[in-house]
Amino acid sequence: MSADERALTVPPSTTTAWSRTRLGAFLSQPVSWVFIFVVGIIGFLSLYPTFFLFYGSLTDAPLGVPGHFTLGNYIRAYSDPEAYPLLLSSFIFGLGASGLSLIFALTLAWITIRTNAPFRRIFELTAIVPNILPPILVSISWVMLLNPSNGLINGFFVKVLGMEKGPFNIYSMTGLIFVESLILTPLAFLIVAAALKSMDPSLEESAKTLGSNEFGVMRRVTFPLIRPAILAAGTLNFVRAVESFDTPAIIALPARIEVFTTKIWREALGSFPTNHNLAATYGVGILVIALLFVYLYRHFTSQVENFSTVTGKGFRPHQIDLGRWRFAASGLALLLLVLLVLLPLLVLLLVAVLPYYHVPTWRTWHNLTLDHFRYVWATPRVHRAFANSLFLALAGASICMVLASLASYITVRTKIVGRSLIDGLVFIPWAFPGTAMALGLLWAYVDFPIPIYGTIWIILIAYVTRFLPYGLRAVSSTIIQVHKELEEASVVCGAGFLSTFRRVLIPMMRPGMMAGWIILVTIFLREFSATLFLYSPGAEPLGPLLYFLYLDGMRGRVAAIGLVISVVSIILIAFAQRYSRWESK
Amino acid sequence: MSRRFYWAFASFILATFIAAPLFSQSADLVAAAKKESKVVVYGSLESDVADAAFKGVKSKIGIDVDYWRASATKVMDRGLSEFRAGKGVADVFLTNDNPMQIMFKEGMFAKYDSPSAKEFTKEAIDPNLGPRYRNVIIGVVYNKDIIKPADAPKSLEDLVKPQYRGKLVMPDPTQHTTTTQWVASLDKLMGKEKAAKFIRDLAAQKPILVESLLPAAERVATGETPVAITYVKYVYIYGQRGAPLDYVRLGKFMGDGHYLALNAKAPHSNAGKAFIDYFLGAENMRALAKAGEFVNRKGIYPPLPDADKIEFVEMYDLDSKAFAEKKKEYQQIFLR
Repeated sequence: MSADERALTVPPSTTTAWSRTRLGAFLSQPVSWVFIFVVGIIGFLSLYPTFFLFYGSLTDAPLGVPGHFTLGNYIRAYSDPEAYPLLLSSFIFGLGASGLSLIFALTLAWITIRTNAPFRRIFELTAIVPNILPPILVSISWVMLLNPSNGLINGFFVKVLGMEKGPFNIYSMTGLIFVESLILTPLAFLIVAAALKSMDPSLEESAKTLGSNEFGVMRRVTFPLIRPAILAAGTLNFVRAVESFDTPAIIALPARIEVFTTKIWREALGSFPTNHNLAATYGVGILVIALLFVYLYRHFTSQVENFSTVTGKGFRPHQIDLGRWRFAASGLALLLLVLLVLLPLLVLLLVAVLPYYHVPTWRTWHNLTLDHFRYVWATPRVHRAFANSLFLALAGASICMVLASLASYITVRTKIVGRSLIDGLVFIPWAFPGTAMALGLLWAYVDFPIPIYGTIWIILIAYVTRFLPYGLRAVSSTIIQVHKELEEASVVCGAGFLSTFRRVLIPMMRPGMMAGWIILVTIFLREFSATLFLYSPGAEPLGPLLYFLYLDGMRGRVAAIGLVISVVSIILIAFAQRYSRWESK
Repeated sequence: MSRRFYWAFASFILATFIAAPLFSQSADLVAAAKKESKVVVYGSLESDVADAAFKGVKSKIGIDVDYWRASATKVMDRGLSEFRAGKGVADVFLTNDNPMQIMFKEGMFAKYDSPSAKEFTKEAIDPNLGPRYRNVIIGVVYNKDIIKPADAPKSLEDLVKPQYRGKLVMPDPTQHTTTTQWVASLDKLMGKEKAAKFIRDLAAQKPILVESLLPAAERVATGETPVAITYVKYVYIYGQRGAPLDYVRLGKFMGDGHYLALNAKAPHSNAGKAFIDYFLGAENMRALAKAGEFVNRKGIYPPLPDADKIEFVEMYDLDSKAFAEKKKEYQQIFLR
């Protein structure tokens, strides 16, 4: 060892003492305890079911039985030559649906945020309404509108315009992509609209000063600036489309189109008896693919945040005067909202007042009934489901937002080593398909020492785990825009971490927290893919109730409950927005 | 006291004696069940039918029913998982023959000879599971507004005639377990060779494939597709709501049996037994028939035209290996 090396080497005892000092300093900070608490909770929530999903895929015994290690499930799942063409069709479906949803969302966001089109505020508020509707109801509505035999829109073309045959066929890859894109549009809209709102207008103004026209500014400045948000929304929607099963089950099967999720259903989840190990293996496959895309999503959103950080000041982006084209822009936004909101809601309303669904004739108007609404009013099972879902939605969304606020504070504001760990942990469950997460949770909690299995708490855990990233996104974008000086002033005045967090940061983050809370409440009120596996007798939420009424052919009741859920969601949103505004005053 | 009072009192006593044998069970059992206050049922009984039955349980026994509704396969999956993990959540399982037999073989059921079981004929008693309380019967259903009864198919073989090409909807036999079983059992009606040819011809008609038997019936009710292979009972169920449905009188109809059994680890075993007694009793059987079900009691039929003329043929029981093979085989025939 040279003299220099000896000088650089610290004796072991000194290293230990130094580490102890650092650890002591670390633990003396209240924020460090918050970090340990948050990492502990989020780590447990996300890694425990993930571990059991892997365990399930590597064992030869069914759920609840200790088995032997095997790679047989992977060999069976991925040596099947049929799996790869299906991955390709899933890829086409995912790409098409996310692409089209982006076009819809971008058009709507640009018209409502950046132009002077009339009624743009109403359009902006209406754009998130489809997020309230259960996706399965949207798919069913569009089958009723566009099926080639007696779809209402096709019927219009045949009866009114005298065409021999309706021009649309929902049972096609185009139909599948179209319907899924409508389901995915609200989330893309929220992401793109947020980016358009928080964009720095000075760059556009500079371009205009340098002689560029509105179109040039849009092409050269606006879109490049929001490109990360567009890519983020596209990636997220791609993952959601590839994982979705509801729309393919209703539209792809009659069209004889197979996607990867329908294969998983046939060979694992829908097989007799259910092959949980194979289902877990497919789940791991989708998880890996989805994680890749979620990584890309994180990469793009971190770029959005970088842009936002630069522009954390009070401003409104300038509005583009469309002149006489503003009415055309409103017309286009209206058309999109007719597709997204009005037509599915009208079909639901029609189904809710018909004794059984059929193409309406003059005779129909004499048979209209309120029986389905009476069922909702008079049935204790429905009341219980509403109570369960409201509990899950309110408690789940609140827990998510508290955790998300702490997590985003640590990742955005502190320099704690390992803070990026939280980000990584939170985003693992995002990549989970709902059914795969439910399988992981079942495996994990069936033998858990605390009796969570078979109670409503396992559903609450599933919701918080799976949807925490939505809350995190909403809070992170707000916390970035809060000036650090306010916290520093609070600390200088003698307030500790918890006091500063409660009295300074939470009030400042409230708009973001409420936005995230609203999104989560609307999702939890209608969630069913994970709930279906986890709910227990006596604790049936609305998602499974809707699913089983649909399975039992009671579309009228499903539509009536769907409409009531929409009204409840709108009331909750209105309260949340009012509360958010009141506090900000 | 007035004469009216005596009449009312006498009627009450008479009604009590008449009602008692309708679901034979001891007062001790009912009292013990009441102490347990509720029964947890895992089943695949449809919501409306279940509601009708459970209302009776509440009013006659005085216990609540917590019902976990799922497909037959999911009922079995959950039951098996809980049993293997040593959890006793459900008291009673109530679903199709095949999953019930698998659960029985795993030792999941407690032996319980319900006094109500005596009312069933010997042919309807399974040595492992007891009474097959209902049959779910699959047939050919059509929309009368689109196809006049005179032009409707008269037999299964008629379905492969050119006029029905593209006009038939059925559950996907490569996905829907009961339909896999139905197609695999066709030789019971036609003989092996005829059945094999029929299956190929049926696939060549390019039927519209859906998830399960209900969406197939729905499509006929809405007029989207004129003919369906589905449960015959939907003719009555949708007919009540005004849908113009009828079924082809095939003579022999294939279908599956439904059973119920007590969980060996039932947390409310008395409530479970009381539930089974009431469920298999004459009063509930009549209520189920009234809701459109084919129950296995002599002289009790659903309010469906010619229901009494239906000859029931039970489908083959397939094990998991046979299911996998058949699904693979039908994938080659129906999805190519």
